[in-house]
Amino acid sequence: MLNIENLKVTIGDSEILRGLSLSVKAGEVHAIMGPNGSGKSTLASVIAGHEDYVVTDGTVRFKGADLLELEPEERAREGIFLGFQYPVEIPGVNNAYLLKAALNAKREHHGLEEIDAFEFLKLAREKMAVLGMDPKFLNRGVNEGFSGGEKKRNEILQMAMLEPDLAILDETDSGLDIDALKAVAEGVNALRAPDRAIILVTHYQRLLDYIEPDYVHVLSEGRIARSGDKTLALELEEKGYEWVREAANA
Amino acid sequence: MSGAVSKIELAASFPTLRDEDWKYTDLSRPIAIAQQWLDSGSNEQPPDADLIDSIKAAADAAWIVIANGELLEASSTGLQEAGIEVSLLSSDEPAIDVPLANLNTQFRTGGIRIRVIEDRLDQRPIGLLVIDSAAGAPVMSQARVDIELDERAAARFIEYHVSSGDDEHYSNSLIRLNLAADASVEYLRFQDRALHHSQTARLNVRLERGSRLTHGGIDLGGRLSRNDLKIDIAGPDAVATFNGLYVAGTGQHIDNHTRVDHRVGPAVSDQEYRGILSGRSRAVWNGKAIVHRGADGTDAQQANHNLLLSERSEIDAKPELEIYADEVKCAHGTTVGQLDERALFYLRCRGLDESRAKRVLTRAFAATIVERAPIAELHELIGERVEQRLRELGDAS
Repeated sequence: MLNIENLKVTIGDSEILRGLSLSVKAGEVHAIMGPNGSGKSTLASVIAGHEDYVVTDGTVRFKGADLLELEPEERAREGIFLGFQYPVEIPGVNNAYLLKAALNAKREHHGLEEIDAFEFLKLAREKMAVLGMDPKFLNRGVNEGFSGGEKKRNEILQMAMLEPDLAILDETDSGLDIDALKAVAEGVNALRAPDRAIILVTHYQRLLDYIEPDYVHVLSEGRIARSGDKTLALELEEKGYEWVREAANA
Repeated sequence: MSGAVSKIELAASFPTLRDEDWKYTDLSRPIAIAQQWLDSGSNEQPPDADLIDSIKAAADAAWIVIANGELLEASSTGLQEAGIEVSLLSSDEPAIDVPLANLNTQFRTGGIRIRVIEDRLDQRPIGLLVIDSAAGAPVMSQARVDIELDERAAARFIEYHVSSGDDEHYSNSLIRLNLAADASVEYLRFQDRALHHSQTARLNVRLERGSRLTHGGIDLGGRLSRNDLKIDIAGPDAVATFNGLYVAGTGQHIDNHTRVDHRVGPAVSDQEYRGILSGRSRAVWNGKAIVHRGADGTDAQQANHNLLLSERSEIDAKPELEIYADEVKCAHGTTVGQLDERALFYLRCRGLDESRAKRVLTRAFAATIVERAPIAELHELIGERVEQRLRELGDAS
């Protein structure tokens, strides 16, 4: 589904990704871990299409096509979803409006009719129930005055509505209490499917207690320093990131 | 026609750029219109019946139609409304000694007095339709309304400004609004004039003990538009909340000056104005709050936020707080900026294309003020007009 080869990315004068390669197949859940500044969030932003990052070398192919040629909105409609580390508050834009606009943008792109208002509400309420969200959140401004946990649940709600082929969740676990973490994990697990891939970007092992990854990669200095299965995350928790960097440099 | 007035006397009725309160707003165009009107113009313009009908159809209100400064009885549906008394204003009403109010006093030919006797908040609003037209020659008009609310009386008002006609027009309106103790008013001013017409509009409010004003002012039209909102807090426990929205495109100049005199406390004044400027446009916001000696317990809040969609647009924003009392809570904040890049990226990541994401964010910026405006049944109409205007500006830039 996603093939990244030798990706080099700069922002301003600094090179953040220095030849990163990664292959993600449908049905897989990958966790990308690493210390602060290792390039985890940069990777997520580049896949989503953030214009501040400049790709200087390498390729990113999504479902066989050159992803880097596409605008962020085209990537979204093609089935990429980025769950933001810091979801943006947008007062004056109603949550339901955004959900419906996002859903219809994708449907239109795939030649489908706009979703009917009743069908939309039914779908949204169902997904909200899974996430333990009050339906009144639909009528509030996007993330406006939401707590940290509410914002992250709202990201997962959007993901659940949009049913992406590839979901990248950037530090979705940061700032969550245990109840919110469980609810978010439940939302993610409900989306695991043979035709869908999920990339979890996280600093801590904690999230992986609730969402079991097929692969764990450790980023260090802009490259994948080590890959393994879920036991790698536990090893990391025990030995710390310094261990990976030393091993990579050795 | 007041042919006896010389051009020198006329010009003296206008403030100049040398006046501190007028340094950003040049009235030379209205002065020229006034002079041409004195020479050759006439207020006997046929009122734009279609425009009147369309507004009356869009909003259910007890309409009092003021066409080029004169009461248009035949079109007015609000002259026999329950709980209010409408009469013609006598010519010896107390003067308001500021230049444009003097101009109004000098040249007005009509004038209306409205007295609200009861609490009629749950009834249809009273609509002041200030409609002007200029065909065949430039026209100046002076709308004039005095509103008094008895103790505990309450009402909703719409002050709706529109204009038509190919020639130039200058409207100078003067409205006084006095609230007796525990009276309450919800007041919406909506200015949607033709883009080649100019206006200056003053609303002077006096709030007695326990009275309450909720005001919303929305400006979409006009080549030059200046609004003066002056609120005198004369009794304790009065509350004045006023919000404004201005949308300007190339060639438009919109100036909002507000002034609140907190003469006694405790009392609250809370204002937020927002502007969207596109093309070569200019706006001014000046919010002055004076907390007089002894007005302890005053809470005065001011905010002004501007969205500049073009590098050629300009805003002059100035909060002014003068505090002579001891125990007060006062704050102000002003921002000028472009659309939030983070919000734009967020919306694009959800599949909205860039131009749509920009439109959504621009409308959201305006919507917060429209939603807060009084007279909820007009929100849809105003929202649509704001939308239409933003679309025109988007197409032009």
